[in-house]
Amino acid sequence: MRPLARIILKMLSRPTMVLAMSGVMLLYTLLYLWLTGDIAGGGAGGWHTTFPAWERVFQSRGPFQFEPVGLISLGALVWTFSPINTLMAAGMGLLVGLNVVAGWWLWRSPRQCGLGGSSTGLLALVPAFLAGGACCAPLILIWLGLPIAGALAGVTPLLVPVALLLLVVGLWFSLQRLARESGLS
Amino acid sequence: MTPYILRYSSLSIVLSLVSMPLATASPPGQHPPEVPVAHAMASFRDAVRSGGPGKDGIPSIDRPRFQSADQATLNDGDKVIGVYHRGQARAYPQRILVWHEIVNDELGGDALSITYCPLTGTALGFKRGETEFGVSGKLVNSNLIMYDRATDSEWPQILGVAIDGPLANQGLEEFRVFWTTWGAWKTRHPETEVLTEETGFVRNYRRDPYGSYNPVTGYYAPDSRRLFPVMQSDDRFPPKTVIFGVRGPEGALAITRKALRNEGVVDVTLGERRYTIIHDSQLDTGWAFHNPEEVHIRSAELEFTADGVTGPGIASLEAVNGFEAMWFAWAAFYPDTYLYEGQEVP
Repeated sequence: MRPLARIILKMLSRPTMVLAMSGVMLLYTLLYLWLTGDIAGGGAGGWHTTFPAWERVFQSRGPFQFEPVGLISLGALVWTFSPINTLMAAGMGLLVGLNVVAGWWLWRSPRQCGLGGSSTGLLALVPAFLAGGACCAPLILIWLGLPIAGALAGVTPLLVPVALLLLVVGLWFSLQRLARESGLS
Repeated sequence: MTPYILRYSSLSIVLSLVSMPLATASPPGQHPPEVPVAHAMASFRDAVRSGGPGKDGIPSIDRPRFQSADQATLNDGDKVIGVYHRGQARAYPQRILVWHEIVNDELGGDALSITYCPLTGTALGFKRGETEFGVSGKLVNSNLIMYDRATDSEWPQILGVAIDGPLANQGLEEFRVFWTTWGAWKTRHPETEVLTEETGFVRNYRRDPYGSYNPVTGYYAPDSRRLFPVMQSDDRFPPKTVIFGVRGPEGALAITRKALRNEGVVDVTLGERRYTIIHDSQLDTGWAFHNPEEVHIRSAELEFTADGVTGPGIASLEAVNGFEAMWFAWAAFYPDTYLYEGQEVP
């Protein structure tokens, strides 16, 4: 575990990496909240906040979905704010960000080591994006009006755990390869 | 012998005391139901699907608050579900009910549930007794399956009959609710109250997650596809075409809105029973009646008041519940439905 932690620290010691990871994390968090409906249109303009339902903070409204406690309206956007949904989105975003940065580093590393233009690191990004999007796939299908969305509704409880598992496993393999290539393992 | 008798009699008293709260808390029902049930109960149970959110994931409104019509911030074209019960009028905006689907309310001293399923475009009212209804999170034919909080029996909204649980095969008592617009409702009932957004939950009430009725877009568009499988599909109309549906002991009847609007009064005989459906042009809906004496009703002689339709012959009619529904859902629940598309022009 220690070499992997050292790799993460090494990654985070580079400002560009931190910036890239934060950017991906923020984008993913916003996208997740948009796709799950916490952030949506319908704002009446201006800035308005109200937090009338803190007692519902731990109340579930579906698989990995919690009741909003307040409403933040900014311009045309409305955010029905649930602290747990937001933490979950940010946590997944962090994992996607780390996967992306690790994958990008892997892609760059072989060339620096003179091993040729290996694209295996880049390939690691694919599961990261697939896993990140898995949680919201049924919603996208419902938007597209595809009848299979109904069939998928039954598997929604599995999607977030599956996405998390894929992201953790993907990150684990990327970090191990990075550790090997850096001679840290 | 005596101790046995004593033991059994005390046991039966205990059992009756235990079962009493269940019986009194259950929603008032009809056994057998007065509405048709076209599929076997087992087939309904097999066709149940998860809608995504869990039980009460779509929360019913159990402590509704109301405001006067002039305080409401609704546009005239906004869809509302209207109720007029014992001299009291209330409007439930569609944009609030799309997030909650059930309001457990009290009107004129009666405990009522006002229910709305966005996926089938159906609004129905049920008497709830001492219990409340909640959203089970399950669907059949895309239709909301409600559960009652006394017995946990499961009731598809359009069917109005429990398909699972201790009250299976029992029907609910319905009352008429109106699917109309805010402008039409407040003209008919200027003293109406309106459900407020203070529901106890935080939702984005300015946005409908499925589409829009003003103009009709997204999931509500007639040609758009349904999301969930149905027990029976019928392609005679685009899936989301709105029909006016009536149910009776002999079966179900669907009238196209075009036919109802054009003809004003529609007479249909189902089995031995004659039904008369009258178009209310202000609310743009139908009033359904059983017409046992086959009285001829003339559209031009009718008036529509807060209490309903009045005019020559109306007193001899018996009101029957009717409601608007998306065609695909009506045809799925009632595959043998009689369909009225208008008189054939020779």
